[in-house]
Amino acid sequence: MAEQDISRDVTAHHAKKDAARKRRRRTVIRHAILIGWALLIMFPIYWMIQTSFKDAGEWVTWPPNWIPNDPTLKNYEQIFSFNIQESGVARQATEQPFNIWGATADSIIICTISALIALFLGTFLAYAISRYNVGGKRFRHSVLLIRMIPPIVIAIPLLMYYAIMIPLATDAVLGARISLFDTRLGLSLLYITITLPFVIWMMLSFIDEIPYSFEHAARIMGAGRIYTIRKVVLPLVASGMVVTFLFVFILNWAEFLLSLTLTHPDVTTLPVLLNKFQSASEGRLYGPQAAIGTIITIPVVIMGILIQKHLIKGFSFGTIRK
Amino acid sequence: MAQIGLKKVVKEFGNFVAVKGINLNVQDGEFLILVGPSGCGKTTTLNMISGLETPTSGEIIIGNRIVNDVEPGERGLGMVFQDLALFPHMTVFENISFGLRVRKMPEQEIKEKVRMAADAMHILPLLSKRPAQCSGGEAQRVALARTIVNNPSVFLMDEPLSSLDAKLRVDMRTELKGLHERLNATFVYVTHDQAEAMTMADRIVVMNGGLIEQVGGPLDIYDLPASHFVAGFFGTPTMNFLKGEIVSENGNTTFSCPHIEQSLGNNIPKNLIGETVTLGVRSEHITVNEGSRQGQVRLVEPLGDSSLVFFEYGGEDRLVAKVAPELRFAPGDQITYQFQAAKCHLFGINDGRRLN
Repeated sequence: MAEQDISRDVTAHHAKKDAARKRRRRTVIRHAILIGWALLIMFPIYWMIQTSFKDAGEWVTWPPNWIPNDPTLKNYEQIFSFNIQESGVARQATEQPFNIWGATADSIIICTISALIALFLGTFLAYAISRYNVGGKRFRHSVLLIRMIPPIVIAIPLLMYYAIMIPLATDAVLGARISLFDTRLGLSLLYITITLPFVIWMMLSFIDEIPYSFEHAARIMGAGRIYTIRKVVLPLVASGMVVTFLFVFILNWAEFLLSLTLTHPDVTTLPVLLNKFQSASEGRLYGPQAAIGTIITIPVVIMGILIQKHLIKGFSFGTIRK
Repeated sequence: MAQIGLKKVVKEFGNFVAVKGINLNVQDGEFLILVGPSGCGKTTTLNMISGLETPTSGEIIIGNRIVNDVEPGERGLGMVFQDLALFPHMTVFENISFGLRVRKMPEQEIKEKVRMAADAMHILPLLSKRPAQCSGGEAQRVALARTIVNNPSVFLMDEPLSSLDAKLRVDMRTELKGLHERLNATFVYVTHDQAEAMTMADRIVVMNGGLIEQVGGPLDIYDLPASHFVAGFFGTPTMNFLKGEIVSENGNTTFSCPHIEQSLGNNIPKNLIGETVTLGVRSEHITVNEGSRQGQVRLVEPLGDSSLVFFEYGGEDRLVAKVAPELRFAPGDQITYQFQAAKCHLFGINDGRRLN
């Protein structure tokens, strides 16, 4: 009897040990995979950052240098200074003048304002679609259809409108030629338009989550529509709005094709500026490009860290306890 | 003054008619319960009283004004929702004060009123918590406090207890009834739970298929159900129903179906003789170990204070009797039983209306 008990104890002990070992192994495997994945994702960023500290000769050495041989800030100096002539042939940049402060300002203003406006419009549109079925049952799906058009298809026609048709029309009607080509307004309008479907789509999923009874309860307590939206609906989708804003901001921040087609020289966004760093003799100037790339990435990372709390809440949906 | 009147109220959703023209009067200070199966139109009716739905036709009257076009917030009523609808991003205090803030009451007064309401519902310690940190019962009290703080003359409740576990639900019933007596307000309460309706209501409105089947006090409805539907809806276990014919022999009116002949006494209208009807008898009105009818026990469900005996009375058909717990039966036992003649209900076979 006692022996049996002991042997049972031993077996149970072994089973427990086995289970713990299995669990540990699973954890190790999971972490190994995640670390591998993270390395895969992070490597290009690392490469960009370390390239930004390499001098001209080192950009394309083979075998590649994993860390800069002789770290230098020349690339950063170059992109922040206007004096292109000084640095010699390899450092000769573009034929066109460039201005990183101007481009940074353009990028920040255009991306922030158009993301904010798209967020504002999209949130209220999504509310109307969710609560009043505006546009009919299929609208919530067809609203994304606009995104099926490749940007290149609209880039050239838009150029026609921005550079020719709108100036002609305003000239005829107002007697003044107003062009949207190469203006902050022109690019912002376009960014608002193309990101609006995303905003509507994302905000719909957040607003749909709010039970009708919340609004009903507020209404019975005497609250009007706007008051209810302000005090009940918006606070509940705040995290979703932050996530949507960041998503749209990054889309705008990294947008290249439309900006390339419709702006320059007066207005230049950072991705377009980055592409200007080429020289006739050397081809692509990888160092300055990497430096700009690094600078472009920083605000997005900072923003991500600042709103981390909202990101987690927003991305995990279903934050409302019913 | 908070009488509520519904006059020929109809509500259509597209092709679906949820409420098919009902008339109803709710007295001032009454605890009225709308009860019925899901889809019977009870919630739609409540929502029309609250103003969240507009009737397709008919009139809703609160006090003595027609409120069809009056905003919900201006009808002077409070509502507790099925999911309670507590705002998750606000503390309990902010939740309770919501209605007062809407009315732009001075901050000091808000504090006092919220404290009073919270005190009445015994939730003072919760004021700084969020709804997600409250238990089911606490959340229930918060929802009630949020309603009473606005001092409405009419309380509307849409299955507010359905999210609670069984024990808590029974406790809350008692509490709600106490609250009603204390506030002296009109309560209109929707539930699909007949036991909830029986225990709390002054009057019950039984709805089915968008129409009112019966209005009456709990015991009136239980003792004299107006239709087959009402008879079957109230009481557990469900009333026994038998289909048969009414025959008259030697001046004795009898209900007759295979295996059972039941004398019906003298109060049966003469024009029913020869008709096919449904006879209903509740389980507690079947007496066992008496009479001459034979049955065989198939299943026994002991409830503690009584036992349910399911027995075959001939063929495969079963009846259920509620017996004293001292009577122990086992499946297979032979029993004798009889119906209490005075407690037999007769319903028309087609329209289900009560006949006796």
